[in-house]
Amino acid sequence: MPVQGIRTVAAARNGVGAFILPCKRMDFHYCDWAGSSRGMVSFLRSALPSFAKANPQIEIRVSPRPHKHPVVKGHYINGREKAICVRNLEPEQIFNKANLLKEASGEKLKRTKKPVTSINDSVRGIWSPYHGDIKTV
Amino acid sequence: MRPSARLLGLEVPSSRTLYVCSSCRQEARPRPILARQFLRNASTSSGSTPLTEKVRRKLWGTENPPGMKDPYGGPGALEKKLRGNQNVQEEGAGEIVEAAEPAEVAEAVGREDADYVPATSWEGIEKIGHLGGWENYPATQSDEYSPFMLKQKLTKREHIYLAAHQTAVELCLLHALKKPLASIYNVVEHDKSVFKMIWKCKIQPGANGQWEGVVYPNKQTEAALVYIFEQIGGQPEGAVAEAAGETEQAEAEAEASAEELDEGAYVSETSGLPFFGYQDVRDKGFLSLALNDPAVKFAFLKRFSQLSGHFPDPIIHPTSNVKEVVDLILKSFNPKPTKLADQLFNKASLQSRSNVKIFAKKQRSSDRDEEMGRKKVIEAELRARGLIA
Repeated sequence: MPVQGIRTVAAARNGVGAFILPCKRMDFHYCDWAGSSRGMVSFLRSALPSFAKANPQIEIRVSPRPHKHPVVKGHYINGREKAICVRNLEPEQIFNKANLLKEASGEKLKRTKKPVTSINDSVRGIWSPYHGDIKTV
Repeated sequence: MRPSARLLGLEVPSSRTLYVCSSCRQEARPRPILARQFLRNASTSSGSTPLTEKVRRKLWGTENPPGMKDPYGGPGALEKKLRGNQNVQEEGAGEIVEAAEPAEVAEAVGREDADYVPATSWEGIEKIGHLGGWENYPATQSDEYSPFMLKQKLTKREHIYLAAHQTAVELCLLHALKKPLASIYNVVEHDKSVFKMIWKCKIQPGANGQWEGVVYPNKQTEAALVYIFEQIGGQPEGAVAEAAGETEQAEAEAEASAEELDEGAYVSETSGLPFFGYQDVRDKGFLSLALNDPAVKFAFLKRFSQLSGHFPDPIIHPTSNVKEVVDLILKSFNPKPTKLADQLFNKASLQSRSNVKIFAKKQRSSDRDEEMGRKKVIEAELRARGLIA
């Protein structure tokens, strides 16, 4: 019986193989009555169809939240969620906030201290005293 | 010759405390008689000759130079005022006053007026001078404007019904009398007795909502209304004269009989109230009148807008009867705000999107549990523990 090689599938590596957007769901809450939701209502009426069309991989839920300020919530694949209050904002500003949540990784915001970060091991490997030439001081 | 500064300084020793230059001191101080004797120029001998006159004489080289004596056009405002005050003081002291200038006299007379009250604001004071624009002139008769429609729109639903009923009765009458419908626009408001007669009329529209079938309360009212609308529609003079005697009697009788009818909807104080205080229509048969004929529709809408102040612009073309017009106006009184969820549900661009979910109600954690399939488990557990029935 001839040996048959196992067919490999592409590993999910961000940016290399298939890309999965960390943001999996977005909730849009608004109030029909309150004035702080004016921009949000306008955004949902005019910009939501194009936003939903541009991001088919994100589940979008629109629900009222009476007598509360409007909120945009992002749910991420790491289980976290981020919420932004968009009270009294214009539709364009809300669109920017929605884009911010869409592009976020879902991680907590951290200060980047080093210019380059990687999850891969160092190419040079870990230093060992038992390897390499004898060093003369 | 001018006196020396040293000499002057000795004369007024107290002025030494303040520094004044010698030339200024000399100009300000009256010259001593001794010093005047040494003045060579004869023109300066009179002390009242002003400096400008002296300069003029010097320039022209003669004692009587041509031109005005005072090149600045007389004494200034401050000088006049000072002189005026001096005059008043002199009057108070009982001394003989010299003849003042006419302007000053007028001013003094104005001040002595017993009725004079100084104004504290511009209101009521005569306006002097304007830019010459139309708005600067006082209003003339041609500037008066009275709008065709009511200045203030009717806001009560009963009044809208009354306006529509009045319009319908008027147009039905004109239609029956075969008079031009446009003639009713000239009557902005009927007399109270005429309106009462119109109010008591009912309308039974024809089979297809035809504009006929005014039901009068009695014969007298019919005669009176026909007479009035013959005049409104424009009748030959002879016919009017013939009918005048009969209709006057008919009107009086109609008035008397109208008293007997129910007056429940009538308010006694009717001054300034729309429709003389009548609260509602007696019959709503006029609502089914058809507006298919463009001429009738135009006449109805124009008269209705004249009486009510409302114009049903959005449904002018599709409307087919009076009820639709009235309903639209009544709807605009209290427009119910539409929910955003309903608008989004009806949006075609969102209906086709599979990744968009729209909820009409607030989503709670229980809704989330139900969606995830946990609700059954939770309820079963609660029931088992006897926490819910």
